[in-house]
Amino acid sequence: MSYRIKLFAFIWVFLIPIVTNAQTRSIISNLANPAIGMSALFLGQAAPNLSLPGSTGPSFQEAEISVISTVDPLWTLAGNFTFDAGSGVAEEAYATTDSVPGIQFKVGEFRAAFGKHGILHTHAFPFIQAPIIMSNSIGEEGFKNAGLEAAWMTPLPWYCELTLGGYHQIEADPDHPLNFNAAAMNNIPYLIHLKNLFDLDENTTMELGGSDLTGYGYDGVHHAVYGGDITIRNVPLRQSNQHGWILQGEYIKKVSYNNSLYDQEADGWYASFQYRWGQEWWSGVRVEEAFNSFSDITDNPTDTSLSGHVQRASVNVAWLPSEFSEMKLEYGLAQTANGGPAQYDNRVMLQFNYIIGFHPPHAY
Amino acid sequence: MRTLKNSILLILVALATPAFADLKVATSLGDLASIAQAVGGKHVTAISLCKGYEDPHFVPAKPSLMKAIQNADVFVSVGLELDGGWLPLVIPGSRNPKIQVGQPGFVDASEGVNVLEKPTGTVSRAEGDVHPLGNPHYYTDPKNLEIVADHLARIFSDLDPANAADYGANAKEFNAHMEKALAGWKKQMKPFAGTPIVTFHRNFDYFIDRFNLKLFGTVEPKPGIPPNPRYLSETAQAMEKAGVKLVIYQPYYDADASKELAKKAEGVSVEVPTEVGGMPEAKDVFSKFDFIVGTLAKNLSGGK
Repeated sequence: MSYRIKLFAFIWVFLIPIVTNAQTRSIISNLANPAIGMSALFLGQAAPNLSLPGSTGPSFQEAEISVISTVDPLWTLAGNFTFDAGSGVAEEAYATTDSVPGIQFKVGEFRAAFGKHGILHTHAFPFIQAPIIMSNSIGEEGFKNAGLEAAWMTPLPWYCELTLGGYHQIEADPDHPLNFNAAAMNNIPYLIHLKNLFDLDENTTMELGGSDLTGYGYDGVHHAVYGGDITIRNVPLRQSNQHGWILQGEYIKKVSYNNSLYDQEADGWYASFQYRWGQEWWSGVRVEEAFNSFSDITDNPTDTSLSGHVQRASVNVAWLPSEFSEMKLEYGLAQTANGGPAQYDNRVMLQFNYIIGFHPPHAY
Repeated sequence: MRTLKNSILLILVALATPAFADLKVATSLGDLASIAQAVGGKHVTAISLCKGYEDPHFVPAKPSLMKAIQNADVFVSVGLELDGGWLPLVIPGSRNPKIQVGQPGFVDASEGVNVLEKPTGTVSRAEGDVHPLGNPHYYTDPKNLEIVADHLARIFSDLDPANAADYGANAKEFNAHMEKALAGWKKQMKPFAGTPIVTFHRNFDYFIDRFNLKLFGTVEPKPGIPPNPRYLSETAQAMEKAGVKLVIYQPYYDADASKELAKKAEGVSVEVPTEVGGMPEAKDVFSKFDFIVGTLAKNLSGGK
């Protein structure tokens, strides 16, 4: 056997398998990678009162990348990273543990458990526009901040959950108007949330909730937001993905206490009814009212801003060809009721909502 | 004095009352609760979170379900992601450390089952809401329930060693009963071997496989996608051409679509449960199969 043949045989028998193994095996495993999902929202709108270029027509509203995985026997870590046309932000990054009987702990950056609408991600909003009172109180997308929450399921015969939270000092910003930035050591913005749920029958539940989010501002003033909510929900067990309805109402007010001087800065409410009339079809109607509204619900600062006493009615219809996509057509009419000539915001919106990959189920 | 007598009497009655079950078991399906109760016997109380007439894919994750399992010792999941749309909320929401995933009290009942229709290659939702780990409706095959019974006996024995002998004996008895019943069901279904049928969803495949039937098609065009009139017409034409006469559906599916398809194909549609509790006749796993086999045999033989 020639030298070349021996060399070839040696390479074939010994070296090629080593190279092949090096290509197919790795000391870096992806088996414990987190579950990953992404949602994307696209919005088109038309409104005669919006005159700025770009304020009407199609736009990219938001994308959200979600990851979640078990860290170890004690902790689970989740993250939600949102992107819009101009920026990306770690909207939530938090760890939870269920290792303590009766109590669920959450630590990190997350939405505080305030009320009903305030805990929803944008893609889960039942109406394209958040209720006006949200941006006047805890923020359009809820109060997102670093902190620690403990949610205790009380031993009462019905589902009664008491959540206590403490958060980082934070100043008012474009996401929320809450001034909780007093540097004093005793300023720990805190949350108290009580949630009760009763089964009225096997298809219908009633939820009653109350929330208090309180802190001190740099001005030394005690600021707080209070909320109450009620939700009656019907999901026929025999047709749980075909029919059902949700009747929901929420009242929120933002107040401050400067020594003994009480100031109700803003308040408002909404009431909505959503009806599922087929596996692929939902529709809804919502009425709402905001008092002393200071946020700009037109999202268009140089156009007419609706503030003060504002009323709005919204109606929509949603088509869900599968669990992972949705098209929502919505009409909203808002007007001021301040005594003078009314200002109007009158718009039609069409939203496309897509989900790929793993997406954790939404809370009931 | 009378109050004192009454109090003593109450205490005596309380002492004479049998102790609570050793294991509190909760399951995601009625079939699993039925097996757990049979295997656990007097040592176990078993409840199911999903009613039999409820689509197990879409159970509303009500907080009352979390409350119901707050003190459970064992939770038995059907596995293969059938309950993946609601269990990720309900289990952590229970705040019960004993039944969290990874703990001894959390059981995946699909372990050891020979899973059908495991996808090969890429899983795409273009094919509908497919189950990436394979068909999770293994509880429509009686033989698979024997595997589950043995599995639960092992789990219960680990968690409650004092009664391990009873759990083992109960599982053995359950499996013997199942074998005897299965022989009878096979005999009833033998004349229909190879007969094609249409199901609403692919939740009857294990039954079809066990009893040598043939799946011709489904009422829904793809998993989780509702049928449209054109699809129903095309399927009906194909059924008529192939001589397929039977369409079966579950209580939680669209009966109208199934009836329309059967009518167009000049066949019949019948409602049968796939889960225990799906219909009043399906009180446990044995009566469930009694009812399914009896109903299919009757309709496949032309109602004779």
